[in-house]
Amino acid sequence: MNSTARCYFDHSATTPVDPRVIGAMEPFLHDGFGNPSSMYQEGVEAHQALEEAREKAAALFGARPGEVVFTASGTEADNLALRGAIPTPVTEPTHLITAAFEHPAILEVCRYLEKHGVSITFLSVGNDGFVDPQELRRAMRPNTKLVSIMAANNVVGTIQPVAELASVAHEHGALFHTDAVQAAGKLPIDIGRDGIDLLSFSAHKIHGPKGVGALIVRHGLELQPLILGGGQERGIRSGTENVAGIVGLGRAAEIARAEMAQDSVRLVSLRDQLIDGIEERIPNAYVIGHRFRRLPGHICLGISGLEGETVKLLLALNQAGIAVSTGSACSSHHAGEPSHVLLAMGFDAFRARGSVRITLGRFTTSAQVDYLLEVLPLAVRDLQPIASCAGRS
Amino acid sequence: MQIDYRAELPGLDCGLCGYPTCDAFAGALQLKPQLLERCTMRSANKQTFTGKVPVPDSPTTLPVVHNKPSVSNGKDPWCDRLGRPFEFYMDVFPGDKGPRETIIPRNPLRTRELEIQPGDLLLGRPSGMSCGCPLTHVGIAERVDAVNGVIDWFITGPLTARQGNPKNIGYYEAIAYDGLIQEKHPNCEIQIGVRYYFQPRRCMMQWRHSGLITFLNQTPHGLQAHAEGLMIG
Repeated sequence: MNSTARCYFDHSATTPVDPRVIGAMEPFLHDGFGNPSSMYQEGVEAHQALEEAREKAAALFGARPGEVVFTASGTEADNLALRGAIPTPVTEPTHLITAAFEHPAILEVCRYLEKHGVSITFLSVGNDGFVDPQELRRAMRPNTKLVSIMAANNVVGTIQPVAELASVAHEHGALFHTDAVQAAGKLPIDIGRDGIDLLSFSAHKIHGPKGVGALIVRHGLELQPLILGGGQERGIRSGTENVAGIVGLGRAAEIARAEMAQDSVRLVSLRDQLIDGIEERIPNAYVIGHRFRRLPGHICLGISGLEGETVKLLLALNQAGIAVSTGSACSSHHAGEPSHVLLAMGFDAFRARGSVRITLGRFTTSAQVDYLLEVLPLAVRDLQPIASCAGRS
Repeated sequence: MQIDYRAELPGLDCGLCGYPTCDAFAGALQLKPQLLERCTMRSANKQTFTGKVPVPDSPTTLPVVHNKPSVSNGKDPWCDRLGRPFEFYMDVFPGDKGPRETIIPRNPLRTRELEIQPGDLLLGRPSGMSCGCPLTHVGIAERVDAVNGVIDWFITGPLTARQGNPKNIGYYEAIAYDGLIQEKHPNCEIQIGVRYYFQPRRCMMQWRHSGLITFLNQTPHGLQAHAEGLMIG
């Protein structure tokens, strides 16, 4: 393969925008500039586009259009879910349960709520990357108001037993929220079947544009808004809607829903090809998290003996035209710190520094996977002059 | 007898198992029932989940190797020739020409000046901040980093110098040592991040060395260890 072409293997950080999505958005960056709140034709057209996107977003999760609240990001949707469901200051003892390996968009909000009087339980995670519903059951209290567990983890890619977790929450009278930013468009999620009350997702993880996300709010739930103003989005999220972005989100959701199964089959095949190839060529590499119960294009690797060299490995791959990440993209600002996700899974601090995340997407080709399999073993080998034979037996 | 797996599958046709439909997957299960764990959405797979599937062996909790030394140097089998205690023997990898060591000449430019290549016979003496030893060492280069001057070599012993015309690298720093731990003191637990006294099996002086363990890996031949920050005594 042409070594000057970039090979992008970091689809859990963000995805290239699907040309079909760009096509859908373009009119709203030109003539379709109307404000959806306006009464005249430009506004009506924008409003119609908004509502069509709402229908498409809802359909991806078996929701009703009226249950979709558009936001500016998955992080905002997470904030709205937690802070909207548990407004502070709390007037009575209130308990919230989450998992220690959640995205910072959840963990930081929990720490904020904790400072404002909410009692928080951070569930531990099994060493293959799952939250155990039985552990959730043991953590439930009479005053538990909300349980928030992600549908699939952003670092290791493991798929959580959301329906079981939601069922436990409901047995005890609590609401269930899931951060589905990684899972959206990859797993068949149905908020009715799975018992989800609140669900966050983001367009740019499903080949849509950045700067737009949504929170699915099950019909009948009341949330306190975080942003006050003109009363858009049923008053839950004020601010003139990002029409082009929302149209892009809707189209991306529509494509994801239609092509999810075929994309999954292809990605699982590429993922297995990659895991088998890595295990064959790099004897000290190991897959972190369950082999199969993971997102279809998601691999999280450890390389025994080179945990401290991951950043150098990433730079070497980058020079070879390959983009992979360590831990999560959000932690690239904290490259010296061990991954909180791997620490939560019971890894020691040394090994928790050293994960390499390889995530495939809709446009990943078999040739790109072959190229990665060609380059990665060489990059690992070239890291070893100082470490001598570390990793070779 | 054929089992109808379709009833066990969720019927979502999600593709996460790698097959386009649940029916296609049910067909594959007839031949390979063990594939069933590939069904992520199957409720039984979730309900039976215990959260206790082990990850690959942590290097910090590797199996114990033999606790009795196969050689004894006198009164205490876990003391070196000068009577100083050590915690394990460092052995040579099967098939290697000698102990593996990573070195850097005191003048790293010597690596380029001498045009050292893998397979070259080298001669030098460890000195300075690390691993001072009164003996000149001879070995065969295995890998050469011309940029930094770092060399991986197999220490083969002084007699090897007779085999050819060794390139003299002069004084060098021993950066790291690699070997197999097949015998260790019964009270010694080997962990990454800990400095140990060890006895290189083929050390001609039979003096203990010390080093910080930075890598461990269980191999069929024993516990592979990488020690850095080497010192003698």
